[in-house]
Amino acid sequence: MSETMSEPSSQTAAAQRGPYRVVIVDDHAMFRTGVKAEIGRSVAVVGEAADADRAIAVILQTRPDVVLLDVHLPGGGGVEVIRKVHEKNPEQKFLALSVSDAAEDVIGVIRAGARGYVTKSISGGELIDAIHRVAEGDAVFSPRLAGFVLDAFSGSIDLATVDEDLDRLSQREREVLRLIARGYAYKEVAKELFISIKTVETHVSSVLRKLQLSNRHQLTRWATDRRLV
Amino acid sequence: MTATDSSQLEPDTHHETGRPQDAHVDGQGAQSPPTARTESPQPTAALPPVSVGSDSSQADSDERPRATRVAEGAWLGGVCTGLARHLGWPVMAVRIAFVALATFQFIGVIAYGALWLLLPPEPTVKAPGLESASRAGMRAESKSKRRIDWGMLLALIALGIGLLWIMQNTGLGISSKLFWPVAFACAGAALVWRQADSTQQKRWRDEAGGKAWLAPFVARGGWPSLVRVIVGLGLVGAAFGIVLAQRGQISHLPEVMAMTMLALAGLAIVLAPWLHRSRSALNQARAEKVRADARADMAAHLHDSVLQTLAMIQRQADDPKAVQQLARRQERELRNWLYGDWLHEATLKAALTAAAAEVEDERGVPVELVTVGDCDTSDSIQALVRAAREAMVNAAKHSDADKIDVYAEVDEDSVEVFVRDRGKGFDVDAVAEDRMGVKGSIIDRMARHGGSATIRSAPDGGTEVRLEMKR
Repeated sequence: MSETMSEPSSQTAAAQRGPYRVVIVDDHAMFRTGVKAEIGRSVAVVGEAADADRAIAVILQTRPDVVLLDVHLPGGGGVEVIRKVHEKNPEQKFLALSVSDAAEDVIGVIRAGARGYVTKSISGGELIDAIHRVAEGDAVFSPRLAGFVLDAFSGSIDLATVDEDLDRLSQREREVLRLIARGYAYKEVAKELFISIKTVETHVSSVLRKLQLSNRHQLTRWATDRRLV
Repeated sequence: MTATDSSQLEPDTHHETGRPQDAHVDGQGAQSPPTARTESPQPTAALPPVSVGSDSSQADSDERPRATRVAEGAWLGGVCTGLARHLGWPVMAVRIAFVALATFQFIGVIAYGALWLLLPPEPTVKAPGLESASRAGMRAESKSKRRIDWGMLLALIALGIGLLWIMQNTGLGISSKLFWPVAFACAGAALVWRQADSTQQKRWRDEAGGKAWLAPFVARGGWPSLVRVIVGLGLVGAAFGIVLAQRGQISHLPEVMAMTMLALAGLAIVLAPWLHRSRSALNQARAEKVRADARADMAAHLHDSVLQTLAMIQRQADDPKAVQQLARRQERELRNWLYGDWLHEATLKAALTAAAAEVEDERGVPVELVTVGDCDTSDSIQALVRAAREAMVNAAKHSDADKIDVYAEVDEDSVEVFVRDRGKGFDVDAVAEDRMGVKGSIIDRMARHGGSATIRSAPDGGTEVRLEMKR
C-alpha cells in the first residue's frame, strides 16, 4: 500500500536534504534488525537502544530527525523516554510503534508528545512515509488511532469543560478522522473532501494538538469507562 | 482455542458478568469455594456466536452481576458500589440508605462492616500481556482511577450527623449512656478492619497498575498502619473506659486498663513469632501459587496455539500463502489474548470482530477492523453484520486487494459500517442488477431490515460499501 500513502513532494524534499536521521528504540533486537533492513535504504539509522535510559542518552546525543519508539519498553515505557527527552530538547519528534492495541497505551504515548502511532505490522514503504511525514512536522494517524480518537472525543467525554474549544473536534476534523479510520490515505481524504493534502495534514495536526492538550480528567474517564485503566 | 486460553493468573479473577447470578447479599459468595477452574472459561479469540436470536438487552436484565466489593469508584470499602451494581439501584441511594440505617441503632454501620467482611472483592481482570508489561515496568503508570467526590462525601457525612442528632434529640436513638461507647467502639473497629482490608486492596492495585500516592498509606506494615491500629485500639479502649465511668467505677479505671494492657502485651509477646511465621508462610504460599498458575497458563496457551501453528507452518512451508495466513491468524489470536479487550457479550463489535476473523481465515486477506462505539445486537444489527461479512467476502474474492479496511461507527440512533478495499473496482450500474451476491445478500438484506446500502466503486479506486442501519 506504499504507493497510496506516498507523496511525491515529501520524497523530493527528503532527497534534497539528504536522508532523514532515525533512531530505533525497541527492546527486541530482532525487530530492530528487521526495521533497519526495511528502511535502511531510504533513511539513515544513526542509533539504536533497547531500554529507556539508553534511549534517552542516544537520542540526546545524536539528535535524530525522528525517533521510532516502542510503546512498551523496560524502564518506564515509551512515555518516560518522551518526557525525559522533551525536558532537554522539546523539539524532538517521536513516532510510536507498538504491537499492543490497548487504547490507553496508544493515547498515552500520543499525549506524552509522540507525533503519530503505527502498528508494527506496517509495511516498510508505509513506515518510510510515516517517518517522512513526522520529520516534516505532520502527524501520522493510522486507522486504529483515528478510531481511538473518535471514540475518545465522542459521546462519553464531550460534556462540560473548562477549555471547551480544545475538548471538541470540529466537524471537518471529525470528517477527516472518519475517513482515515475507514482506511483512506491522506491523498484520498483530500480528494474525497475536495481539499488539499496540506489542509488534511493541518486538520490532523490540530487533532493531535487537541489530544495532547485536552482536559486530562475527561480522557481518564473515557479510558475508565472502557475499563482500560 | 481451548479451555486454558482464558484462565487467568489468579484463581479467583474470572469474569462475573456472564454468569447467572445466584449469590445473595448475605455474603454467601465469600463462603463458596472459588469456582474459576470449573467454570467454563470464555475463549478470547473465539467470539460469541452472532446468531443469538433473543434480544440480549432482555437477557442482561435477568443476569445481574454478583454482589461484590468494587474497588473502582469506592469511597470506603466498595460495598455500596457493589451492592448498587448488584441490585441495579443508583449508588447514591444505597449510600444514603446505609447512612440512614447507621443513625438507627448503628444498624447501618454493623451491616456495612459485615458486608465488607463477607462480600468477595471484585476480581480485576486485565489481559495477561498488559499485566506482565505493567509488572515489568514497561508501561507508564496508569492514572489514578479513583476520584472521590469530596463534596458528595461531605454532604453524606453531614446528613449522617444531622440524622443522628435528630434521633438523639427526639429520644428515638440509643440511650446516651450507650451512645458514645458504641460510637467509639465502631470507629475503633472500623479503623482496625480498614487496615486489614487495605493490604488486600494494595495487592489488587499493584495488579491494576499501582497508584503511587496511596502506596504509603496502604503498604503492609508501614508506620501509618501502625498508627491506625493504635488509634483504633485506643478508641475501643476509650469505649470501655466510658462504660466503666458510667457505672461509677471510674476510680478503678487505671487498674483495669493496666491489667488489660498487661494481659494483651503478654499475649502479643507469646503469639508474635508464631503470627509472623504464619503470615510470611501464607504470603509465600500465595505468591508461589500465583506464579505456578501463571506458568501453567502460559505453557498451556503456548502449547495449544503457537506450537500448533508452528507445526502447521513447517508442514506447509512450500505454500507461502498458507504460511502467511497461519502466521496472521496466530498473530491475531496471540495479540487478542495478550492485549485484547474482553468481548464477552453479544455486541456489534464482537460480532464484527468474529466476522472479520472468519473472512481473514477463509480468504487469506488481512481485514483491518476499527470500531467507534458499540451496541447490543438485535435482529437488524445481525443483518447488518451479515451484510458486512458478505461485503468483506466480496472484496476478498473479487478485488485482489491486499487489505480490507472495515470501519464501524455507532451513534445514538444509527450504526454505519464501511467496507473498503483498494483493489480493482467494478461498474456498479452494470453489475448490481444481475450479481446475486451484491443484490440479494447486501442491498436487499439491508432494505428488508430497514437499513440501506450504498456501493461506490471505480475501476482504479477500489470499492467501498457503506451500510447504514437504524438502531
